Amino acid sequence: MEKDARPKWDSPVQFVLACVSYAVGLGNVWRFPYLCQMHGGGGFLIPYLLMLFLEGVPLFYLELAIGQKMRLGSIGAWTAISPYLGGMGLASVVTSLYLCLYYNIINAWSFWYLFHSFQSVLPWAECPINANRTGPIKECEQATPTQYFFYRETLDISSSIEENGGIHTGQALCLILAWIITYLFIVRGVKSTGKVVYFTATFPYVVLFVYLIRGITLHGAINGVKYMFTPKMEQLANPTTWINAATQIFFSLGLGFGSLIAFSSYNQYNNNFERQAIVVSLINSGTSIFASIVTFAIYGFKATVNYENCLERTRLLLLNAFNLAEDSITVDTVYDWIEKLNATYPEQFAELNTRLENCDLESELDTAVEGTGLAFIVYSEAIKNMPLSQLWSVLYFIMLLLLGMGSMLGNVTAIITPLRDFKVISRMSSELFNGLVCLFCLLLGLGFTTTSGSYWFTMFNDYGATFSLLFIVLIEVITVSYIYGIKRFEKDIEDMLGHRPNWYWKIMWTFTSPLLLIALFIFYIINYIKGGTPTYQAWNKELGKSVVTEYPVFGQVFIGLLLASSVSCVPLTALYVYCRKRKHGGHHKRQRTVSTISA
Amino acid sequence: MFEKIFFLLCLSTALAEQLCRPEASDGYRVRLSIKTALGDEAYVWNDNEMFLFRATLAFAMRNQISGQEFEVSNIIVCDETPRVSFWFVVTSPQNTSQLVDKESVEEAVRKSRNRINSAFLLTDKTLEFIGIPPTLAAPVNPDTPPWLIVFGLVMGAVGAGIIVLLASSVVQKKRKNDEKPDDEEIDEETRVKTVENSAASEGIYNRSFSDDERFTHM
Repeated sequence: MEKDARPKWDSPVQFVLACVSYAVGLGNVWRFPYLCQMHGGGGFLIPYLLMLFLEGVPLFYLELAIGQKMRLGSIGAWTAISPYLGGMGLASVVTSLYLCLYYNIINAWSFWYLFHSFQSVLPWAECPINANRTGPIKECEQATPTQYFFYRETLDISSSIEENGGIHTGQALCLILAWIITYLFIVRGVKSTGKVVYFTATFPYVVLFVYLIRGITLHGAINGVKYMFTPKMEQLANPTTWINAATQIFFSLGLGFGSLIAFSSYNQYNNNFERQAIVVSLINSGTSIFASIVTFAIYGFKATVNYENCLERTRLLLLNAFNLAEDSITVDTVYDWIEKLNATYPEQFAELNTRLENCDLESELDTAVEGTGLAFIVYSEAIKNMPLSQLWSVLYFIMLLLLGMGSMLGNVTAIITPLRDFKVISRMSSELFNGLVCLFCLLLGLGFTTTSGSYWFTMFNDYGATFSLLFIVLIEVITVSYIYGIKRFEKDIEDMLGHRPNWYWKIMWTFTSPLLLIALFIFYIINYIKGGTPTYQAWNKELGKSVVTEYPVFGQVFIGLLLASSVSCVPLTALYVYCRKRKHGGHHKRQRTVSTISA
Repeated sequence: MFEKIFFLLCLSTALAEQLCRPEASDGYRVRLSIKTALGDEAYVWNDNEMFLFRATLAFAMRNQISGQEFEVSNIIVCDETPRVSFWFVVTSPQNTSQLVDKESVEEAVRKSRNRINSAFLLTDKTLEFIGIPPTLAAPVNPDTPPWLIVFGLVMGAVGAGIIVLLASSVVQKKRKNDEKPDDEEIDEETRVKTVENSAASEGIYNRSFSDDERFTHM
């Protein structure tokens, strides 16, 4: 019966590369360096690595074990473990759906930037000139050219989430391209994904390595790297540090979406996933640290360039105001001259004071940015100052694309695999079904390309997956440890691997990880309640910077819906199964008596 | 006789100085940043360079106001600083005590800005006329934005890839369908067996861990 056999990875290497490609994503590049900076540089590695061993690796192992044992997607697997808790699988699918909707927008932006890198002058290097040809456009002058390019030309952002506009055609085209490429990668399921991951998992490392060499040799990069690695141990006393470390490990490994269950369900029954779980988790964390070295080298370069430009502007200001000869003040002697001039011409200097900037390297390095702001604004600003900037720009955005596409593989597989376990859908050809899923996500995703789309993106990013995942994984680990039983789980693993998991794994699953997750869960709820009305950063055209704005009522309602829709799958499914069992309970009894007589 | 000439000269210079004052209404301040622009090849600013400047400006005024013959003496300069910045005013050739109005001077400078810049090997940024913003170069607007070209290439390649993949899978399916009649006889036997067993083996997956223990109320 070859037709009904489950597709398989061609080799365990494909499975490992698929997991690496999925886990190593944009978060490693833009979230971890930010956390490192916020929580005391090198010192942050201590809570991070501790959390990796306390919750990261055990939970990763757990999900791989379940997928490989049940050989089903998340819905089927959890239903098999405990019918009442099959809703967990459904919640995973819903969360993955939300993730798919908004994640590909980032890939669309990366494509946009990539295509715009093929010009003699990078479009975000200079401000475009206004209609009168007297100077740069006002919005661009208030902000910086890179910010203007991102907010105005890429997003064409409106001033708040309430104001809507049309679809940005360029964005829509890039989104269509992103979804077509995603479809191409998953069109035949595991057979096509397995070949693609050889590239998407390995090439980003090549680019990162090239960037490491470029980054370290940049002028002023050493300032950034030194800043990052100087540990500020007092941050370890701050509970937020530990919470952020736990959260980062959790989200970075991509637990709870069902992708890991989906990937491992295509494994051979006796595949040694224990070793693979440890390897992938370590690779993921190692990549985060590696990427943050690159990021900090680039930070250092950008900060140094900005600092030196500031000094140059101050020098010119002094020269022009006091009409001194051009070579009398050099960049190094600016501060000495400021004191001298302040002493000799106090009134004239006082007039200048408003225009005089305070140039400080430390404060430049202190500006911590994460997320899309880091990837698209800070990095592109650094790139425009490098020699041969078009080449570095192309390389960088290709890397972002590979990281993003690699994660998309896992996200879409997490939706497709559980749904294909249903008979109705397994009758459709895989190409058709995968195409329908991609088309559906594309059409809904077009909403993110409107002028207010970026604000919806932020909403989905902040609320769509975070809370629900914690809930899902918490229920997962409690189900496996207590409802299914740790002894039964041990036996399953022995069946697959040939040996039982040792005491470390068992303690983590039954004790440490649930406790940590409960603590994180409670912390999230407290933070949410304490935080008051949720807010977002709206771009103000006149001021040329982002302003903190509260979500309007419909926005808050939508946030509530996002959270409720995935979390409520669990109790609702339990209720449904309970009612169904009660209805068919009588039926079954009668059926069984008939068959025993005939047999 | 000499005294008269001497007196007239003094008078004219005095008049000139009165006409040219920093922040006077009809003049402009000029600022040159020679070292910034030329680095090691910077020339020294001296009286000859000043003469060239006045001559270039007279040239610009001649281009602007046709008919009037501006001479170097019509361009009066004052308040020179070590920065190399100074103030200048333009007097009318017909009446040397009258200044040419600001707008004409601005127009003249704007029109001939390029020529003035190149006379000194400087640019709009390094030869500044404070109060006269330079007209920036018009942005180059190609008919098809370059990004669209790259997009088209990538989209074309990806589209071709998908068509190839889908076509090959359709071809594969057709081949399988052609091979089916050969395998049908072999399948018949297995199918008979599976029909007998179908009541027991309804599902394709192994429900070894379903909750039989809990729900079989026997």
